[in-house]
Amino acid sequence: MTLPVIGLIIGILIGTVCPISIPAEYAKFMSVALLASLDSVFGGLRAGIEEKFDNTVFITGFFTNALLAAGLVYIGERLGIDLYYVALLAFGLRVFQNLAIIRRYFLKK
Amino acid sequence: MLPVKQGQMAIAMVCVVLGVMIAVQFRTTQDIRASIPFQRVEDLSQRLSQTEKDRDALLKEVYQLRQATEKEAVSRGMQTMKMGAGVVAMQGAGVIVTIDDSKRPTKPGENPNLYLIHDDDILKVINELWAAGAEAVSINEQRLIASSEIRCAGPTLSVNNTRYSPPYDIRAIGDPQTLETALKMRGGVLETLQFWGIQVTVKKQEEVIVPAYNGTFRFEFASPVKEDGK
Repeated sequence: MTLPVIGLIIGILIGTVCPISIPAEYAKFMSVALLASLDSVFGGLRAGIEEKFDNTVFITGFFTNALLAAGLVYIGERLGIDLYYVALLAFGLRVFQNLAIIRRYFLKK
Repeated sequence: MLPVKQGQMAIAMVCVVLGVMIAVQFRTTQDIRASIPFQRVEDLSQRLSQTEKDRDALLKEVYQLRQATEKEAVSRGMQTMKMGAGVVAMQGAGVIVTIDDSKRPTKPGENPNLYLIHDDDILKVINELWAAGAEAVSINEQRLIASSEIRCAGPTLSVNNTRYSPPYDIRAIGDPQTLETALKMRGGVLETLQFWGIQVTVKKQEEVIVPAYNGTFRFEFASPVKEDGK
């Protein structure tokens, strides 16, 4: 568990030090992609606990989820449908689900 | 600690990416809050132009109202005072002086500023006209009053806080002969200006109309002295 936390801290440090900034109109895409990555991380942790972890599935899932979410928002914006909320809802639900399962394992131990 | 048995390394890598994303997103959100929205800028500039329009309309109204009240019988003393203050249009014999920038090309290495009209050139002409007994003077429709300024405003000239670019049209009421000779004096103002090729023409006229001052008088600091006793 320490390794992912260290990774997260390193990532935040890199992001703070590097002067990367995205234009305001793309902030929406970024937020959905962010949620998708969060979901992947929790999914990965859960799989790790359940001893069902598959490296390929995890890595591909991470990237496809983030890209698909951003793409969905883009298409939604073009069509005038707020697909933004769909992505938010789906990933949000999954994050909570995964969190609940992780919590159970944590309590069982 | 959680018993994560597999894929610690992969999850850590993804966490690095996630951390970068979080930091960037955090900063972007902060930037959006800190910057002035574009719409606000547009809104403000629109409001400014609207206010300027309102001001011009009000100035015109003030001028019209003043003209209207003027029609009511006013004592002779009042009339003289108004003439002195410059709030009435005046007519009479006088001169019209037109000044324009030099058409002569600047020689290499020479300061092009020498061939342009400056506020002090105009001031010298005006000063000469007052000295020669001009009773009313205007520059491009702006009546010169006691508080009128003649000042450089970038490439233009600011008179009564209104900007004008060349050519300048100076009208003065007074004895035409005296005014003309005062300007054309040997070694005088016109000779100096013409040396630099600045185009100056002086026309004597039987009928010169000098417009009235159409701005407002504001006394923010000054107030009349109260004379007690007598």
